[in-house]
Amino acid sequence: MRTLSRGFRSFRRHWARNLIIVILLAVCLTFSLSMLAVKLAADQQVKSVKATVGNYAEVSVSSEALMAYFEQQRSMTQAERNAQARTMTDLEEMANRAESLVPEEVTDTFSKVDEVRTYDKLLSASVTVSGLTSTSVTPLFQIREGSTSSSSSGRFQFEGNTDAAALADFVDGRKQLFSGSLYTYADYKNANPVVVVEKNLAETNELEVGDTIEASISGASGSNSKLELKIIGIYETVEAERSSESSGGNSQAMTNPMGNILYSPLSVVQKMNATPGYVTTGSYYFDSVDHTEQLQAVFSSQVGEDSTYALTTDESNYQAIADPLIKVGKTSLIGLGGALGACALIVLLAMGITIGSRTKELGVLKALGASNRQVITQYAVEVVCITLVAIILAMGATTIIGQKLGNWMLSGNQTSSSTQETAQVAGVPAAGNSGSAPRGAPTGPGAMGQAFGQRLRNQVMNTSAQEQAASIQVVYRGSLFLYGILLLVMISLLGMAVPVIWIVRIRPARILSME
Amino acid sequence: MSDSILSRNSILKIDGVSKTFSTKAGVVKAVDDASFHAGWGEVTVIIGPSGSGKTTLLYLVGSLEKPEAGAIEVSSTDICQSDFDLASYRRSGVGFVFQFFNLIPTLTSLENVTLPMDLAGVPKPDQERRATDLLARMGIDDQRVQRSKPTKLSGGQCQRVAIARALANDPDLILADEPTGNLDTATSKSVTELLGALAHEDGKCVLIVTHDESILEIADQAFHMTDGKLESVGA
Repeated sequence: MRTLSRGFRSFRRHWARNLIIVILLAVCLTFSLSMLAVKLAADQQVKSVKATVGNYAEVSVSSEALMAYFEQQRSMTQAERNAQARTMTDLEEMANRAESLVPEEVTDTFSKVDEVRTYDKLLSASVTVSGLTSTSVTPLFQIREGSTSSSSSGRFQFEGNTDAAALADFVDGRKQLFSGSLYTYADYKNANPVVVVEKNLAETNELEVGDTIEASISGASGSNSKLELKIIGIYETVEAERSSESSGGNSQAMTNPMGNILYSPLSVVQKMNATPGYVTTGSYYFDSVDHTEQLQAVFSSQVGEDSTYALTTDESNYQAIADPLIKVGKTSLIGLGGALGACALIVLLAMGITIGSRTKELGVLKALGASNRQVITQYAVEVVCITLVAIILAMGATTIIGQKLGNWMLSGNQTSSSTQETAQVAGVPAAGNSGSAPRGAPTGPGAMGQAFGQRLRNQVMNTSAQEQAASIQVVYRGSLFLYGILLLVMISLLGMAVPVIWIVRIRPARILSME
Repeated sequence: MSDSILSRNSILKIDGVSKTFSTKAGVVKAVDDASFHAGWGEVTVIIGPSGSGKTTLLYLVGSLEKPEAGAIEVSSTDICQSDFDLASYRRSGVGFVFQFFNLIPTLTSLENVTLPMDLAGVPKPDQERRATDLLARMGIDDQRVQRSKPTKLSGGQCQRVAIARALANDPDLILADEPTGNLDTATSKSVTELLGALAHEDGKCVLIVTHDESILEIADQAFHMTDGKLESVGA
């Protein structure tokens, strides 16, 4: 205690020299702690982005296989196609339809991978519903003004999955249940013939919950078969999808193509499409974007050399969004290392100079009977005091400049990566669905519209993550304080090394003889 | 040096002590087979030119250096033993007075005197009281001077503070290295008298190495040192 007190008194007595050391050290420590705060904030935000983007995958027919299928269809004339359709057996027709679909056994097998957290499957099909008037491609302003210009195509887009509540549109709130209920997993398992229709469609056709509609079952053998679907729910479209992308972004033509979409359990849609055991898309949420490569490898090993099916993820979305934050994290780590190096250099030099200029004092202390332990403790207390004051000042300064430094670093990285990001977002893969439920790749009529809608939805879904990554929130956590204490200990130990070595080796007789 | 003095009350016994240093010029024998005894209440003066080895001999007695041969006994204890508590001996067994005072510049006169007591674990109030008494005895009874740092003091005052510091833990042995070497004649005289009083009045054993022959006035025994060799010049 006496030695500690002597050390503290010594720290006060050499205030001028110590003040210079404290200031130098505080500047470097402020930079270190600010860099550390920015690094922690960047890492935390990357973690948050990871939780929402980059962990979605879809298994669907590969674009190459789809292109080959479309090329083959295009090479035939309409007459040839009609002739082919007429001569097809049931099995041949099913095989033809299945060319753009994925067998459930493929999607089911992949769902058993350890990293997969949730799994759903979806089938989109165009089905003829007799006596139903479509509201599709009706400008929204006309809908709002009540001057709906309806068309009656008779064909409607049906989408089916295992549980309607898990559909991204409903989870995200773009569509809301207006009346009735959504179908459940039990409806899917039991293949209950139920349907959820859009509010405008229901109003146009004066349909209510409990009414039935009649859908035709596709295929040669099913041409005369009908399936009666009971309306169990009516939904309304809260946010209409924009066609800005397809129109070059200038024309914000507000349409409501989703009004033409009807939702039924997957097993029912499979029945109507006459493709049992086939789905458009297998949809998965896995644990983290970090396992994307691993999952790709597993999928490749499962499908072998067959390039018909592809696993696509929204990793590129994650990269586009998180890249500036990751860069900030890396830059701050380098800055932190440099600043800590400077701290170490300052404390070593300062203690070297201090000890060098107080060698005589050391000699006298030892001549007066101070033990090595007493002298070392005295100097250790001085070093700790210097570092403690510097750390306290640095923590205060960090609260002032940490956020500014983070903003500056992020803006620099956003500028440098903006071009790359724009390119990546625009080129988001079709399967890059970051919603919480699956949406399949399109097949058959309406396919382009479906793809377009999905791409738009990716942007909407990524918005929150993009907003999250747009600014850095340098929060002063307890961990920063702990790191501060760790720095205090490390720098103090380093600073003590010089006096310890000097004091142990010093010979007072030599020092006292150096007059 | 008479046998009667040696047998009467020897506190310091030096027998055949030698010390060499390796320099660029070769091995230098700083102390060569030195032997003498010193008793309570005596002033022993070793006189000699610079580089003769007298300071080395003083450091050997103060355990700041270790001899290569011979024995040094203080109060019948061999201070050259490997298990001898050197720090404790330096704190309480011996007091140093240096030519250049070697006061710690950032401490006040009072703090310089309390420092050895602080190292020895003397309670704080006792430290202050004793330090004040010692300084007063050395002629520094002005509180302003006591609270002044060494840079504000004259050479004589500094040496008085240094002597007070040497006495802080009441050692039996006072070792003075050129105590008047940095002082004017008048101040030298008073410092010399002070050192004499420590031996003759307080009963301390005072060992002074110097080239100042005026100190011989207070010597009870004196030696001349040349090239590490010690020769008695009588009492």
